[in-house]
Amino acid sequence: MTHLADTPIIRVENAAKAYSGRLAIAPLSFTVAEGEKVAVLGPSGSGKTTLLHLTAGIIHPDSGTVELGGHATSELGAGGESASLVGAIHQQYDLVGHLSVVHNVLAGRLGRWGLLRSLWSLLSPQDLGLAEDALERVGLLERLYERTSRLSGGEQQRVAIARLLVQDPRVIVADEPVASLDPARARDLLILLSSVASDAGKTLVASLHSTELATEFFDRAIGLRDGLVVFDLPVMELDRGILDDLYHLEVAG
Amino acid sequence: MIAIRERRPATRPGLVRVSAIGFGLLAGLAWGQVLAGGDSGAGDLFRGDTWTRAGEFAGELLGLGAEGESAFVDGALWQNAIGLSVETLAMSVLAAGIAGAAALVSFLPAARNVAYGELGGSRRAVGVPGYMVLRLLFAFTRGVPELVWALIIVFVFSPGVLAGALALAVHNYGILGKLAAEVVENMDTRPARALRGAGANNFQMVLYGVLPQALPHLLTYLLYRWEVIIRTTVVVGFVAAGGLGREFRLQMSYLHYDEVALLLICYLALVIGVDLVSAGLRRLAR
Amino acid sequence: MRAVPRAPRIEGRGLLTLLLIGAVGLSALSVPWGGDLVHPGGGSAVGSIVKALARVELSPEFLRITAYAAWTTLRFAVAGVTLALAIGLPLGVVASGVLTRSGGRKTASIVVARFVLALLRSIHELVWAWLFVVAIGLSPMAVILALALPYAGILGRVFADALIDVPEEPLRALRSAGASEIKLLVYGRLTIALPDMLGYGFYRFECAIRSAAIFSFVGVQGLGYQIQLSLDDLLWNEVWTLLIALAALVLLVDAWSSQVRRRLVS
Repeated sequence: MTHLADTPIIRVENAAKAYSGRLAIAPLSFTVAEGEKVAVLGPSGSGKTTLLHLTAGIIHPDSGTVELGGHATSELGAGGESASLVGAIHQQYDLVGHLSVVHNVLAGRLGRWGLLRSLWSLLSPQDLGLAEDALERVGLLERLYERTSRLSGGEQQRVAIARLLVQDPRVIVADEPVASLDPARARDLLILLSSVASDAGKTLVASLHSTELATEFFDRAIGLRDGLVVFDLPVMELDRGILDDLYHLEVAG
Repeated sequence: MIAIRERRPATRPGLVRVSAIGFGLLAGLAWGQVLAGGDSGAGDLFRGDTWTRAGEFAGELLGLGAEGESAFVDGALWQNAIGLSVETLAMSVLAAGIAGAAALVSFLPAARNVAYGELGGSRRAVGVPGYMVLRLLFAFTRGVPELVWALIIVFVFSPGVLAGALALAVHNYGILGKLAAEVVENMDTRPARALRGAGANNFQMVLYGVLPQALPHLLTYLLYRWEVIIRTTVVVGFVAAGGLGREFRLQMSYLHYDEVALLLICYLALVIGVDLVSAGLRRLAR
Repeated sequence: MRAVPRAPRIEGRGLLTLLLIGAVGLSALSVPWGGDLVHPGGGSAVGSIVKALARVELSPEFLRITAYAAWTTLRFAVAGVTLALAIGLPLGVVASGVLTRSGGRKTASIVVARFVLALLRSIHELVWAWLFVVAIGLSPMAVILALALPYAGILGRVFADALIDVPEEPLRALRSAGASEIKLLVYGRLTIALPDMLGYGFYRFECAIRSAAIFSFVGVQGLGYQIQLSLDDLLWNEVWTLLIALAALVLLVDAWSSQVRRRLVS
């Protein structure tokens, strides 16, 4: 897996996105180097989710470009190529509750499986070793054959991470991954997510509410407000003043 | 920026109220016409000799006052009836199976979110007309009652179990198809769309994200319909000449009311039996 | 060596599916497969039926006949459903037991009401029709009763279940405000259960139209009677017109029903 050290894995250039006439993301640009861990901070409605979806290629910019590994997201179709570049995890609802854990985890291989193999795997799980390894890594191996809906919220997030392990993308995009979890479990999940990324040199871009978690687990923080980048700093340089500017409530006119 | 929604001034009466009034009018018209026409039969209900006649009829059902032996003690008749009950049961299972299989292969393109490409992926031009054709097909097949289908089918197929099963299957196909498509339409599609991010194509997304949720529902609906089908099988058999229905027709034409009562008992037993089995199987499915 | 859980054997639902496929296969055996399964003239019958679709009968006189038949069928359906409501709703209220206080009399009334409802709905409407026709002769009332009684059984049961299934919390508020059981019923349970009940009621109305069409085969005027006439003469183009009218009638009621329910829910 060779890559040019000076080519950023993510390049966003003047990307903008509007919804029903309202600008969610004003034209903004930034780059992310491979292996970086970036936290996206900002108040509700600042456009964090839109930005993350643009980064993951789930949506495409109205103007400007978003490049992953040198390819524009609008040119990457769905399927194996895009899946090996980027994988996403959300706050909830990533997993199919009716399926058992093993199938949800193995879904990470769907980009590489043909239709027949995908079908057969539902009866007899293919690449089972991959699923076992991934679940062991997240500490849920004993739940392999349980129905996913029976697991708690935190456990389901870990299964989602296991799926990402199987999918093995170069970039992980996480949209509020811990927003539904209590503080203790949120920390545990970020420890896991962060180490999973570090172990394999993956890039991690995540949106968070908590600045403490951002400082602890990430290298860099981007502050977003009303679709504009307010700051883009190493987490060490974040201070009270900068954060207050980001989050302060504006009195509605 | 908080927008306060203003209540629209009530210049038009709500649909609900209009509907209620409309239905009331319909009811008034309907009953008016029934009661105004002198031959409605409403008066007959309260005539004395109607009740005597009804009483005699009940007696005949029970086999009293008939010449010769009452049908209830005739072993051969019971055996015949049980054989026909099995045939009727087979007709109902066959009908449910055909309807279920047909609905299974056609419910996905009949779901609005699948056909219109809302599940992500390309919006194929094939989807929309396919959706409309299927919905129309569902509406037509379920709008026409089973008995009418049976009357038509006997022009093509010889009267018997298959004819009856097909008639039932056609009608129930429309019902099951619509129900199954609605399950897909009401489903939370976020897990399915998340699969796209894992690299799944359209087929895989449906296989892993839609079917696991939809199939159990389809199974439950099928089992519920089976309960309805077993009740209608007897009636369809009347026309399509299969199972208990055929025998009903025969015995009614002979005016052997006590044998009819015997068949009625078998019919009730079948219905109750299927209700119990269906409930048990539904518990397995959940 | 890590502890990997064992894969489960075929679970409940897989077993069920196999069972069902087996059952269908078995039942297919009872069909006398062979040469005379299809009518000798069956193939050509299919041909003429399909061709007639292109020449659907649309002449004004026939359309008038169709419209009148449809209206007749609709009238019977409405009369039947309203009578079914009049019988089924009170029975349903008793069967739900929401108006009676606990005790021997309550259980007895519930059991009796439920039994009556079950009896009413176990007998197919056509069987009822036959019973009534033999008892009081062929007349509109016989048909209306034959429709109303089983429907009363069905509606009553659904109604009773809907009343019972109303969640406790909203009722508790009313009860602590001193509402009597009757007021509780009307203001509490009915208002909450109304959308579901109305939805099911409309569905029954849709079924009633089909049932009324069937009944009219027996000789009472309506779409069924007309279909029988056209079938007897093998006039498939007329049959198609009538079938479309029937399906359209059912569809109209279905559309009306979804609109009303949508308004109620929002």
